[in-house]
Amino acid sequence: MNRWDELQLAAFEGKIGRRDFMRRAAALGISTTLASGLLASAGYADDTPKKGGTLKLGMEGGSPSDSLDPRTYADSVMIAASLAACNCLVEFSSDGKPTGELFESWDVKPGAKEWVFNVRKDVTFSNGKTLDADDCIYSIQIHRGETKSPAKGILEQISEIKALNKNQVAITLADGNADFPVILGDYHIVVVPKDFTDWDHLVGTGAYELDGDPEYGVRLAYKRREGGYWKPNRGNFDAIEIRNIQDVAARTAALQSGEIDGCNRLDARTVKKLMGDSNLNVVRTKGTGNRFCFVTRVTDDPYTNKDLRTALKYAIDREKIIEQVYSGFAIPGNDHNLDPLNPFYNTAMPQRKYDPDKAAFYFKKAGVSAPIELQTSEGAWGSAVDCAQLYQESAKKAGIPLQVKKVSGDGYWDNVWLKVPFCAVYWGRRMSADQAFTQVFGEKSDWNDTNWKVPEFQKLLVQARAETDEAKRKEMYWKCQEMIADDDGFICFAITDYLDGYSKKVAGVHPHGRYDMDDNRVAEKAWFA
Amino acid sequence: MLRLIVTRVVLGLLTLLGVSLLIFAATEVLPGDVATAVLGQGATPETVAEFRKEVGLDRPPLERYWDWLSHAVRGDFGKALTNKRDINKTMAPKLSNTLFLALYAALIAVPLAVGLGILAAIKEGKWLDKAANILSLGAISMPEFFLGQLFIFILAVKLRWFPSLATVFNSMHLDEKLYVVFMPAVCLTLLVTAHMLRMTRSSVLAIMSQPYIEMAFLKGLSRARVIFVHALPNAAAPIITVVALNLAYLIVGVVVIENVFVYPGVGQYMVDGVSKRDLPVVQACGLVFAAAFVILNTVADVLSILVNPRLRKPR
Repeated sequence: MNRWDELQLAAFEGKIGRRDFMRRAAALGISTTLASGLLASAGYADDTPKKGGTLKLGMEGGSPSDSLDPRTYADSVMIAASLAACNCLVEFSSDGKPTGELFESWDVKPGAKEWVFNVRKDVTFSNGKTLDADDCIYSIQIHRGETKSPAKGILEQISEIKALNKNQVAITLADGNADFPVILGDYHIVVVPKDFTDWDHLVGTGAYELDGDPEYGVRLAYKRREGGYWKPNRGNFDAIEIRNIQDVAARTAALQSGEIDGCNRLDARTVKKLMGDSNLNVVRTKGTGNRFCFVTRVTDDPYTNKDLRTALKYAIDREKIIEQVYSGFAIPGNDHNLDPLNPFYNTAMPQRKYDPDKAAFYFKKAGVSAPIELQTSEGAWGSAVDCAQLYQESAKKAGIPLQVKKVSGDGYWDNVWLKVPFCAVYWGRRMSADQAFTQVFGEKSDWNDTNWKVPEFQKLLVQARAETDEAKRKEMYWKCQEMIADDDGFICFAITDYLDGYSKKVAGVHPHGRYDMDDNRVAEKAWFA
Repeated sequence: MLRLIVTRVVLGLLTLLGVSLLIFAATEVLPGDVATAVLGQGATPETVAEFRKEVGLDRPPLERYWDWLSHAVRGDFGKALTNKRDINKTMAPKLSNTLFLALYAALIAVPLAVGLGILAAIKEGKWLDKAANILSLGAISMPEFFLGQLFIFILAVKLRWFPSLATVFNSMHLDEKLYVVFMPAVCLTLLVTAHMLRMTRSSVLAIMSQPYIEMAFLKGLSRARVIFVHALPNAAAPIITVVALNLAYLIVGVVVIENVFVYPGVGQYMVDGVSKRDLPVVQACGLVFAAAFVILNTVADVLSILVNPRLRKPR
């Protein structure tokens, strides 16, 4: 990368200020017009939204079997589609903190068991009905009881839910959870009118309403809802079109030819070329994407040996994998599953680096002679085999005879993951530290793929969950991260970036701590410059 | 004559039955099942058992096959396992899209290929013959995804003459559809032309060595007249067969092109069905594809018999 590219990247990531950027651009001999145009696209200038136009999005993460029923959402297209027409109870600010949406505000009693949520007043659905507490309760209840909703598990902690009056909902939890608003911000929990079931004609309180029947796996069209949107400065377009484009080459070509105004999941291998296109704007959210890992089951030999686990952590060349496989668009993982945008990320812990000497030392100390076989597959994620091969190479330099076995992608999650002692896995982001740890390392979790169930850690996790004092919680979560990285068999080597592409005319798009495409809310947040 | 046609149709139906068994067996031996594929990481032993029971996967395969077949013969493909939607309703617009693209491509490809094939036969060994051969073989030698990307890069991204997305949807008019689907149609044309062109050329040329053609030349007829009046009718049977085969390919073999141009056809639906282990969807798509093949081949057989008196009386 040359210095101009670096400077542009820094601007896009918001690392340098406007004046700094202009000064350094001038030093590099870049014209003022070009530099200020770039700044505008990086979201520095011109932040008064304009109304009008049709925003066309091309997105990966949908299929013909999609449905607008919130209990079925699993990927980006349906998340973005639901957020165009609906609101959630809780939204997330760009730094990942929960803020009020249809639950305007909340109060909690010490112990984090009893919560009272205030329902936002004077909000109407697109069918004219005014929002009240019963609608919010119904929208939560459809994910509880007899249902296959993916949100069922995270809502099991609710022991009682009732309306205090038209604008207040009281929720009691079985055990204290200071992160409960984060749970309510889950993307499945979008608010619909009480007893609503006609999902193909979704009705919500969002900025837009469906225009014609949804064609799942193809296209969903929206028009601006009548009567205005309750959020000021949002919902700026006249119409929205979300196209499902699974193929990344097709998405990129459509963006370049101007058929779509924005797309998600650009290819890291070609994105640098797109960054040089004066008609396009690439928004990069650093290190909040998937966490790519190789995990060993600490209860299976030879991985019961802690020294072996430590050797394996030092034997992986994270930087090289990031450079060669992810073209530099990822950050190194630190052997736990939080990322730097999580408020509880441990910033004091040193980043673990490739160290063949240390790896060799610990490997010798472990004295393991059993074969070390890593199972990997395209079915785990697209480049899992490449990553494993680079791992094998770097481990070899440390004298560790790592064997890589490529297995079939079909049925990988049923037959390999959670079954073999050393395999590839990726984890998505969880909004709260508690969710991230409980799901991956909790003793009751079905997905505890390292089978690491140290009592001390489990105790700390439960304590931190109910702790309402932020400073104390932070201390506990920092300790959790240290324990995982030090003792568990969890080798998290990379966390990828989210890469969105937009046409230059789309303004008001920013990186977001939860999802790409500005938390999949680009339809309500952006506007045409 | 009638008996021959009836035999063909019965044979076609038997083929379909065989195919349905094969598809069913193939989906049975796929590793993983719909329950784990749909539930993904949310699959715990309890939810999986619940799901399997709900969609009837706990019954023996033979029973399920019979159940499905007895409905399918009545034109009812049942409901998708993943989202409980009626398969007929979901597939209908996709099938019409697929047929639209196939017809579009066929209307360009068949006249072009047969016409060029005849011309190449007339001008055997001349530059036109060679050019047609080289160009069509060149086109067919390129993998279709590459051809598609090349088209997109030049015609859509660089020149901006055509849209790179060939996605058609309900609210589009016919002229819009013809415009957005132009690139995939031309791509498919390039893929199927060579086969038909060369078959036309070689069948016509094979007839040219017959004694009655020599007689026609000796009568002093022009080469064009000899070919159109004396050779072509006799060469029609193999041409019809190869045209039918290519038409079938246009319907069933376009998954890659659909993907490259983001065209919402049956191919994509089937691929999605396979990846989700949605058995009824895969079976329905497979059966429709197989039916397209069998019907087109049967029609080709019958037509070949009709145009050639010698085939009407099997020895």
